[in-house]
Amino acid sequence: MSIFIDTTNKVLVQGATGKEGSYWTKHMQDMGTNVVFGVTPGKEGQQVEGIPIYHTIRRGMRDHEADTAMLFVPPAFTKDAIFEALDAGIRKIVTIADGIPLHELLQIRSAALSCGAMVVGGNTSGVISPGKAMMGVLPYWIERVYKPGRIGVMTRSGSLTNEVTAEVVKAGFGVSTLMGVGGDAVPLTRFAEILPLYQADPDTDGVVIIGELGGTMEEEVAEAMESGVFSKPLVAFIGGRTAPKGKRMGHAGAIVTGSKGTVEAKLDALTMAGGLVAKKPSLVGPMLRELMT
Amino acid sequence: MKLFEFQAKDAFRQCGIPVPSGVLVESQEEVSNALQDICPPCVIKAQVLQGGRGKAGLVKLVKTNDEAREYTRFLFEEKGVRRVLVEAAVDFKDELYLAITVDSAKSKAVILACAEGGVDIELLAATAPEKIITQMVDLDQGLSGFHLRNTAFGLGLVGDRAKAFNKILSSLYQAFRKFDAELIEINPLFLTDGEVFLAGDGKLIIDDNSMSRQPGYEVTRDHYEHEVEYQAALAGIPYLQFDGDISLMCAGAGLTTTVFDLINYAGGTVANYLEFGGPNYTRAVDAMELCLKNTRAKVILIVTFGTVARADVIAKGLADAVARFKPSIPIVTCIRGTNEEEAFEIIRSLGLTPLSETEEAVQRAVDIAAGRTS
Repeated sequence: MSIFIDTTNKVLVQGATGKEGSYWTKHMQDMGTNVVFGVTPGKEGQQVEGIPIYHTIRRGMRDHEADTAMLFVPPAFTKDAIFEALDAGIRKIVTIADGIPLHELLQIRSAALSCGAMVVGGNTSGVISPGKAMMGVLPYWIERVYKPGRIGVMTRSGSLTNEVTAEVVKAGFGVSTLMGVGGDAVPLTRFAEILPLYQADPDTDGVVIIGELGGTMEEEVAEAMESGVFSKPLVAFIGGRTAPKGKRMGHAGAIVTGSKGTVEAKLDALTMAGGLVAKKPSLVGPMLRELMT
Repeated sequence: MKLFEFQAKDAFRQCGIPVPSGVLVESQEEVSNALQDICPPCVIKAQVLQGGRGKAGLVKLVKTNDEAREYTRFLFEEKGVRRVLVEAAVDFKDELYLAITVDSAKSKAVILACAEGGVDIELLAATAPEKIITQMVDLDQGLSGFHLRNTAFGLGLVGDRAKAFNKILSSLYQAFRKFDAELIEINPLFLTDGEVFLAGDGKLIIDDNSMSRQPGYEVTRDHYEHEVEYQAALAGIPYLQFDGDISLMCAGAGLTTTVFDLINYAGGTVANYLEFGGPNYTRAVDAMELCLKNTRAKVILIVTFGTVARADVIAKGLADAVARFKPSIPIVTCIRGTNEEEAFEIIRSLGLTPLSETEEAVQRAVDIAAGRTS
């Protein structure tokens, strides 16, 4: 099995006719994702990679069933596009948009929480269950990273994900589902909200989280472990241990202010909860082996 | 983007938050005119972005025109300050703290208030959190009467004073929304002898992702510690300067931050953090130009593992940059991801060795910087 996405999801693609949208929609299909229709206002009647395009989700839903939405929509229009998907009853949504305004992130997350939807992103590469289906811009063809297997991966980063996941595969494991929650200051879905899905998945034996300095998502994972919500083996890699305080290291979410968000705080919390925290990406594989045998 | 105090106070004024009368001056010649409008005693405040200006000697209460001119001259000439705010002194009987920021886990705005103004709120949160009143606000519900009551009564304000405070808080929330604030803060919020609330200081950080709909604010040299950081910001490439000698030219924020750690673990030092991932992956030439401006650098370390940021495109960009700048310092590459085989070919054609293990590349760069190899 896997979580969030597999071959049974019926995926609609918002922004499917754009350059990036059409390129990655084809890759999503090539990998096995069941893409049912696309949406671009004003372009109904067109086709992208054999997929019919509609003006709106409502119009698409008259002809097709869909339960999942993938957005290739610019940040300024993302709130509207997500609200459209929620309005149409879609409860699984992935947005890769990088640069969604802060206040709109709050409104989107608030709306998603109030209707029980899971919106993943923004500023992410997406979500993938290797060998089954993919939503986003993930290079599933790189075999030393995206090998099917039984380890769940959650990440705040893009390129670091390739780096760390390659170490998971090198150690003899593979990936059940990789969830990119993104690097924004307000991730629309947080690590701890995904953990119950991995816990319930019989085909996920353990989880690797790829975190970084800033925010409190890693601490929330530790709380979920302490409270028993998550009890499978967990290894974390957290970037930014040597980052100077007050400097924003790339991602909007990657900044330490006051006593909150330091890597030490995350490390302590996760270790206390029974997880292992790798100092270097190359230690993630061996640590995973240690916990899994 | 962090605004200067005078910009924050302009924003306050637009939303109906009273501020002391003041005049902004940009040169010593303008000071005398300003002192005609704002007669001493007045407060002279350097308009810089760093916190703790009082302790740093960048704010002063002056009693005479001569004292004012002497201090502004000190700020302009000795401290290199570009702008100074000359502001009327305020007689106050109490000072409070009031701010609105974002709680990302709860996904709401959060009001922070404290009956003691002038405090370091982060310190207070760590030492006496019970003194801070917090009130969440759902953006779609907006600010409601109970939010105001919970805050004002929590501060111990009643009657007309509570009414006056509620007006300030309503205006501050309006400003928070209007200016897409990450943080908006009044510290201290003065209560004057005449029972009027006045914003003594103003802090406003606008969300970077919202700058396109907040026209009129430009990044300035003051926003950056180093000249190259400013140039990089104008070029739209994230760049931080440090004191070490290994220049990072990496793609992806998480990966760059990790390489930064690995260099420190390996005993090396970082000259600069440059991240050219995302939409910047085609800009290796611009990235290298910035790296080469850092004269401390003894080696350039390029680490990428990109998806959309294709390895072959990055390698081609590197080839263009090498042809253009003919860098005299060595380059270590670890460029992987989409189409990496083609990338390796391009790198070999430059006479470089395409490494594919990050930690090996980091060690190589650290060795070169330490003079152990070339």
